[in-house]
Amino acid sequence: MEVLRDLLRYDRRFLIGFIITVLVLLVFPLSLLSPYEPTARRVVPTNLPPSWEYPLGTNALGQDIAWNLIFAVRNTLIIGLLSALLSRMIATFNGLISGYIGGVTDRVLSTITDSLIVLPRLPILVFLSFVMRGQLSIWGIALILAFLDWAWPSKRYRSQVLSLREREFTETALFSGMSTFSVVTREHLPFLVPYIMADVISGFIWAMGMEITLSVLGLTSLSIPTIGTMIYWANYYQAILRGIWWWIGPPVVVAIATVIAFYLLSVSLSEFLDPRTRLQRIKVRPEMG
Amino acid sequence: MHLLKRYIIPRLIQWLVVIFVGVTVAFIVPRLSPLDPVQNTLNRMAVYGLMYPEAVESLRATLEELYGLKGTVFEQYIAFWKRLLTGDFGPSLSVFPTPVIQLILQALPWTIGLLVTSTITAWILGIVIGTLAGVYSESRFSKVLETLVMCISPIPYYIMALTLVLLFAYLIPIFPLAGGAAIGLRPSFSWTFISSVLKHGFLPAFSLVIISMGWYFLSQKALTSTLVASDFVTYARIAAVPRRTILYRYLIRNSLLPQATDLALGLGSVFGGALITEVVFSYPGIGQVLNTAIFQGDFNLMMGIIILSVVGIATGALIIDLLYPLLDPRVRYH
Amino acid sequence: MKSKISRVLGVVLLLLSMTSTAGLAQLPVDIPRSELLIVDQVFRYSVAENFNVWLPVGPPTPTRQSLITDTLWYIDQQTGEWINALAKSEPIYNDDYTRMVVELREGIYWSDGEPFTADDVVFTVQTLLANSGMRWSAQLNLFVSEVYKEDDYTVVFELKQPNSRFHTFFTARYDAVYIMPEHVWSNVANPMQFRFWPPVSLGQYVVRDADPAGYWELFELREDWERTSVGQVVGKPGPKYVLTIFYGPNERKVIAMAQHELDLLIDLDIEAFQALINRSETARSWYPDFPFAWPDELDVRFIGFNLDRGDFYADRDVRWALALALDMVELQTEYIGGVARVTPIPEPGTPLLSQYYHRPLESWLKEFTIMVDGEPFKPYDETVPQRIAQWARAQGYTVPDDLEALKAMFGIGWWKHAPDVAEKILLSKGFRRNAQGRWLTPDGQPWRFNIIAPPDEVDTFRLALGAADQWTAFGIEVDVEALERDPFYARNNLGDFVATSAWGAAGGGLANAVVDKWQFMQHLHSDYYRPTGTPSAAENNLRIRSDELDRLIEELGAISPDDPRALELGQEFMKLWVENMWSIPLVSFKKFITFDEYYWTNFPTSENPYGQPLYWFIGSKFVLPHLQPTGR
Repeated sequence: MEVLRDLLRYDRRFLIGFIITVLVLLVFPLSLLSPYEPTARRVVPTNLPPSWEYPLGTNALGQDIAWNLIFAVRNTLIIGLLSALLSRMIATFNGLISGYIGGVTDRVLSTITDSLIVLPRLPILVFLSFVMRGQLSIWGIALILAFLDWAWPSKRYRSQVLSLREREFTETALFSGMSTFSVVTREHLPFLVPYIMADVISGFIWAMGMEITLSVLGLTSLSIPTIGTMIYWANYYQAILRGIWWWIGPPVVVAIATVIAFYLLSVSLSEFLDPRTRLQRIKVRPEMG
Repeated sequence: MHLLKRYIIPRLIQWLVVIFVGVTVAFIVPRLSPLDPVQNTLNRMAVYGLMYPEAVESLRATLEELYGLKGTVFEQYIAFWKRLLTGDFGPSLSVFPTPVIQLILQALPWTIGLLVTSTITAWILGIVIGTLAGVYSESRFSKVLETLVMCISPIPYYIMALTLVLLFAYLIPIFPLAGGAAIGLRPSFSWTFISSVLKHGFLPAFSLVIISMGWYFLSQKALTSTLVASDFVTYARIAAVPRRTILYRYLIRNSLLPQATDLALGLGSVFGGALITEVVFSYPGIGQVLNTAIFQGDFNLMMGIIILSVVGIATGALIIDLLYPLLDPRVRYH
Repeated sequence: MKSKISRVLGVVLLLLSMTSTAGLAQLPVDIPRSELLIVDQVFRYSVAENFNVWLPVGPPTPTRQSLITDTLWYIDQQTGEWINALAKSEPIYNDDYTRMVVELREGIYWSDGEPFTADDVVFTVQTLLANSGMRWSAQLNLFVSEVYKEDDYTVVFELKQPNSRFHTFFTARYDAVYIMPEHVWSNVANPMQFRFWPPVSLGQYVVRDADPAGYWELFELREDWERTSVGQVVGKPGPKYVLTIFYGPNERKVIAMAQHELDLLIDLDIEAFQALINRSETARSWYPDFPFAWPDELDVRFIGFNLDRGDFYADRDVRWALALALDMVELQTEYIGGVARVTPIPEPGTPLLSQYYHRPLESWLKEFTIMVDGEPFKPYDETVPQRIAQWARAQGYTVPDDLEALKAMFGIGWWKHAPDVAEKILLSKGFRRNAQGRWLTPDGQPWRFNIIAPPDEVDTFRLALGAADQWTAFGIEVDVEALERDPFYARNNLGDFVATSAWGAAGGGLANAVVDKWQFMQHLHSDYYRPTGTPSAAENNLRIRSDELDRLIEELGAISPDDPRALELGQEFMKLWVENMWSIPLVSFKKFITFDEYYWTNFPTSENPYGQPLYWFIGSKFVLPHLQPTGR
């Protein structure tokens, strides 16, 4: 709690990130209050601009855009977080084993990891969702995304471990009689934990981006509201051409606000947890196209 | 010799294995498709006009033969390797019998042009600005810049592209919506053509640059600020080495190595194309071709592009791994 | 309360988007716009500079085929008019339909100056017969035992089995066997690999230039345009140049047409169309005003069920209940904008075909009775067109008051929206409602199913959404599974669906502009029935099997398509369909074929329906010469 207070007081980035995150997380309780089923269509008059009754207007499918947005954000958050947690769990396990055990185990694991890395990820993802669609619930998407996103982080964790092993203080510690186990837990983990935590957020941001990408291509279950499917439907009914900004705008704005908030939180958190790891600042490797 | 045996040869073998696995996956994956290319062709022919049902059956057999989809999957796999080793990717199944390689070569220049340019631009910009921001990390400008980059770089790519299209193709229509060059122009070395290509490529390239630049910027800034605080720069300062020398000789050179890794990987992945970029901006590159191949169940075309991409990335990674220890004595071979 | 800001912002966004000037076509220079017709190319050619149009499915032919290829006969899809093109007269059969003689038109030349003769026709057929992967090869091999010329302008086909419809291979709907120039192809070693570039043309145009990236092609009128079938039949040349361009997605085509840089485009969704006419004074579609779109494409949208799953969907009464739970007026208006003709039978209600099928069947439909729990019920509702008109007036559109005019515009009628009757049927079949009012199937499970539909086929998809909404409101859990084109076709073909929102084929009348329905009905013969999981050889994706249907098909197959009995059998077929509700036909096909009258006028319209507006069909070659420049 004290940590939180300090962060909120001294780090403006954290404050901003925190406020937006809290606002975004409000969708979870809010979604329980919705008068409509998340997938229901034609529950309100179609194509109305924003008004007191419908703060964000209604869309061509007869949905209240505000409630639709709340469900969308909730589902996208679920997909992103689930995928990020799962993939980082696999990655941590794989990376640590590779890094510490080394030898043949490392070589086999590394080859598997590398083989996955050389595959062009987005096309494979597009293909997998193309094959499996119809059966893709939000959990299914999260699983596929997690499956495709553990290779890079596990390579990174492995090299983190390797570089930690190479550092002077490791040798110093070993020379001074510390056991390997305590070196790992007492000297290395403080480096790794914030690194992995920050990385979970980068995984979330990636997963969210991919969910949007797949949905925009029409490859997910289109009746489940997510940020991506919202954009899909807005595009499908020519929201841009017709100037219906209250349909295409909200998911775009919320998506941007969410990732920035999460990102700010992670940067500030990892600096706070370990000032030395400025260098290891969260690595959001962008997915090109 | 020790180096060769302990490091280079195993790494080369790993490269081969990775490619073998990647190529095999490229063979298997399209076969998971719910689409059967032969049936697909028949279905599409039915759209043009109904055929006599008996003719459909006999055409099915003919097409299976022509498409090389006869026999067991294993037999197809062997035939696939035989063909591949002679450099033949086979015919496209969606625009049979045009060779896959022709479709790839048609699209590749666009993709390479777009991706190589934007990757290198992003890399250079990221490093230059990142270094300056790292050196003058206390200046206001640097802080503003960092905040800006931090707010832009995590934005999902599609959202960024859509925003750019909204802003610069609809709201302030200064850039075209689609295409690689203006319609009606022939590829040539004329200024009209080149300027048109630049104009059409600007928005997609820009979207790629600002998204990937952020990453280079942040890591470069982090690297530089650590270096600035490191002992040898401090010593250099005490020894009154000129600031500019410190900047170029020590900082940039020392931080270039890790950055080169990313550049090589980035360039290696060029062959996979930029699927979303090309779809959003209707850019005529390899990503679009792949997208169509997936949606139309064109096995051979999918395999061709995936293989190219696998080899590209694997080789990029191999080159770095081989060069890296030579360049950076701090990393030892294991 | 409407927010002022939202409106202002919306208008600004719209205006700005429409005034976008950047990056639009720099049209190929040196061609005055008054001589240049610019048409939408439909898609980007993935293989440029390949005109071997005899390959299995490509290279793609729309917009190319009508300009440079030709075939023997045409039927105009709008008027039903028979046109002798390369042939001088109609096909001449012997008595048992085992031989067809074709008399060819004289005075027709290839674009390189060679005369077109019987040798070209014979060579074409022989080449296709010999190369089994080529288009039409498998079909021709089924029937042709021998083809030879009697003289330079007479060709004889000897058939392996009687076929009174053999000429349909050479009678164009979308396309038909394109004739090859023998003098070019006779030297080709492997016809499958030949690129036929630059092509030698038999049409009114030649290819003048083409984009290697596949975005555009430029065609020029032949100097000797009179020496073509179009020249001889119409006697007028088309526009001097035709440029086909693929601008990209709909929004981009809209912008291009608003700026008069596109004269003719294939289709838009209603949203994009409205954005266009709000912006352009000169752009329009078939009707000058609501309901805008061309309503006469020969096809029907329907929702069908897989009848071969061994469950209650195979029960005719259950399908009737589902049909009666639909509200057609709401479907046609709220979901697809009031723009389409409803049809209760698997046949599009075009002016041409409705005089054979819809209008003659009207009295039968009115009296048609189904038994509901022992009680007779007349399901037909002829007030549907009036109720659609009511909706249209409420939207501020002007529509005719006259009932006949409304029937022509919105269709003759459809089934009543009778959820109470549907309920009775289902209850009598052992379905039950649970405490929440949701339906349970006879075995006590919640009743839920998916409708598969492809989003890019706009009406099909939106009708599926509508049907899903209405059935869900009725108490069944129905969702729409969106599929891309090819997986959609594949799932239909394998019978891998409970319900499909589809069109075409034998599920709801892919029709020709002729009375004879055999070409489509034959696919439903039980000989070609394949169980679910096996690809259907015929287009019987719904897996229909019926002895009565078999008898109709066999009788129709044995007679000439010109026999008056063909119409009677066609009408029997429609009645049989209605009784069995094999699929639920919804609306006729429509297309927002849109044109800009800024540079060119006299496109076919509702006021002047002289020919088919389907410019990407081969038959549009007979329409092009009628276009007139405005002189701008």
